[in-house]
Amino acid sequence: MMDALRVDKLTITLPNGIILCEQLSFTIEPGRVLALMGPSGSGKSTILSWITGTLPKAIQASGEIWLGETSLLGVQTEKRRLGLMLQQDYLFPHMSVEQNLKFGLKAGSKAERTAIVHSSLESAGLAGLQHANPATLSGGQRSRVSLLRSLLSEPSALLLDEPFARLDAQRREQIRQFTWEACSQLPVLLVTHDSEDVPDHADVLELADNHAG
Amino acid sequence: MLQFSSNRGHLSALLAVGVVLLFCLPIVLGLVGTVIPAFGLMPALSEGNGFVQLVNDPRFAPSLWLTLKTGVAASLLVLLVTIVALVCLHQTRWWRWLLTAMPPLLAIPHAAMAVGLVFLFAPSGWIVRLFSPWLTGWERPPSDWVVPDAGGWSLVAGLVMKEAPFLLLAAAAQLPSLDVDASLRIGRTLGYSPARCWSRLVLPRLYPRIRLTLFVILAFNLSVVDMALILGPGNPPTLAVLLLSYVNEPGARAVASAGALLLAVGMALFFIVVIGVERIVAGLAAIRRTSGNRGHGFGFFRQIGQHFVILLCSLSVLTLASLLVWSITQRWRFPSALPDNFTSRHWLGRADLLLSPLWSTILFAAFSCIATLVAAIIWLEAERLGRFKKIDWLWYVPLFIPQITLLFGWQAASLLLSADGLWLTVAYAHWVYTLPYVILIMAVAWRELDPNWSNAAALLGAGYWRVLFRIRLPLLIKPVLQAMAVAVAVSVAQYLPTALLGAGRHNTLAIEVVTSFGGVDRRIIATLAVLQSLLPLLVFSMALAVPAVLQRRRSIA
Repeated sequence: MMDALRVDKLTITLPNGIILCEQLSFTIEPGRVLALMGPSGSGKSTILSWITGTLPKAIQASGEIWLGETSLLGVQTEKRRLGLMLQQDYLFPHMSVEQNLKFGLKAGSKAERTAIVHSSLESAGLAGLQHANPATLSGGQRSRVSLLRSLLSEPSALLLDEPFARLDAQRREQIRQFTWEACSQLPVLLVTHDSEDVPDHADVLELADNHAG
Repeated sequence: MLQFSSNRGHLSALLAVGVVLLFCLPIVLGLVGTVIPAFGLMPALSEGNGFVQLVNDPRFAPSLWLTLKTGVAASLLVLLVTIVALVCLHQTRWWRWLLTAMPPLLAIPHAAMAVGLVFLFAPSGWIVRLFSPWLTGWERPPSDWVVPDAGGWSLVAGLVMKEAPFLLLAAAAQLPSLDVDASLRIGRTLGYSPARCWSRLVLPRLYPRIRLTLFVILAFNLSVVDMALILGPGNPPTLAVLLLSYVNEPGARAVASAGALLLAVGMALFFIVVIGVERIVAGLAAIRRTSGNRGHGFGFFRQIGQHFVILLCSLSVLTLASLLVWSITQRWRFPSALPDNFTSRHWLGRADLLLSPLWSTILFAAFSCIATLVAAIIWLEAERLGRFKKIDWLWYVPLFIPQITLLFGWQAASLLLSADGLWLTVAYAHWVYTLPYVILIMAVAWRELDPNWSNAAALLGAGYWRVLFRIRLPLLIKPVLQAMAVAVAVSVAQYLPTALLGAGRHNTLAIEVVTSFGGVDRRIIATLAVLQSLLPLLVFSMALAVPAVLQRRRSIA
């Protein structure tokens, strides 16, 4: 059973004194998607950085974050069990598709890990591409591999930062479909400025532009 | 791309060919001038097979071993310090501080740094004084503590402190194009510790990009002369120092050339070994990379790494400070932590010792700076106009060949051409050793500058020269000034080319610092070393300040 991701009374202040968000609270239950929407500069990605624990020290933030009953405040990024997918897929160019996926996978027997990678590639319609160089893949294929890599690390919640923005219109719908199916058991926080990206069953939280100026 | 008249294109190509020929000529001459005497084929200079004489010298084998030991150890430590600095300081508040501190540290000439280290770590050095007698109980300098030591470790320390900033800056310059921040972020959200993210995601991509710089450092460490004369052991000395002593002996040209040739061949073989080791390490790393082991985020080790790098930087700064203090010392009895009296006598009262080498140094530095800048612009413009393809490997060639190997050949050639001791001969050598740095620094910005700036100016009616001087150069002012500062720093630090080709007629500060060491008053040596360090530091400061001032002026306007 997955846990809910809860953010409580989050306030973020930039070094120049601009308040990006004030007393922001939300809860995302497993299987639910919360779409954080707003124009560029409204602080969507900064909130995501705070959640992952990678916010630059110059930016002040206060608030609490919980995964189920566990507080993530002060927990190192690598121990938060949060999957992250950015606008750019960041498939590591010095690794093949299979190696990228194995990088996400937990340690275990070689045969078992290879089998998991192959079956996940097959489920994503990418069978036979395990030895491919990521640079040779299409945008849609790269997105799917990137998502698979995140999911294979067995995260407890998934954070998506404009994950479909770089895809062409034709592939975008296909990848959206794939993403929502693949993440159906997890609490998902989606950051986007495009309402088309938001699935029907999602909750929406609009960030105002009035603070960032 | 802008269209230029055919004549201008031909002229650009012709000038660029001239630059390449001027650059290659001494390299070819240097190699030929070393190879021929080594085999005893130039009886006018020296007779006999140099290799036989060299191998029969009982100092050769221990000298070779010492060279390998110090050169390899220093290069590995430079790589280690760079990796530790990247892993432990990147994305911390120290990182920006470190990047700001690196160029000035890089600007300190090798000889000055070596003298400062001796003043710091010698038995009567500042470190011992700071802890005596209250901690050590020493009322007199300890006699069982020798700097430079017989094992060559003082030399290793000096090389690491001088070369680590070079590699670190080269590495830092590559980080943005590797999307390091994003890679670390993704790696950490996948559960990997920061150190594992570096070792598995960043370093495998970074290493190929800093490899040539590391090879340049390895070549330098295996053949360094000025630092080895000050910080290295005397008996046996390193191979390069031993060969230098040969070349000063009458009739020993063959053995000196044979040794220089052997050093170059040995270095080439060593590069092959390093490439082999790289492949093995890369293979092992590739297997480990996808094992799924996340590693532990030991913040404690990161802290130790941070303190280690900061301590190393502080030592470099302390080295400079020790030179400065000695240069204004009148009397400093052991074990006082600070001088008993200060004086400006060494600065103001010894113009006879300071002004001549200062002027000589400034002339060579100014020539190198201007001549390399012109040559670099000629080449990069020809490249931009599509006349030639990139030949970055060529600029590295003199940096990969031991200086002593090329210079023995140049010396032989200049003797035959009666050009030894001429100002122009020495200046030419400075130019050859400065040009690679200037071109390589300017090339990135020159190639990446959006051609639309030039196109827009041309469409407004600006001709080629107007576009170059009013658009391209002002837009590239920062890298141009940085390259000029590096040119000055490299020229000011040149010891061997000035010593070997100058025939004792051009006493630059580098020459004075090295030759005075051990024989002249410590306070005078310190003054010379500070003066030698001040020149590049001054130019580096200007390279930083001028673009900032111009920027401010523009924003006010």
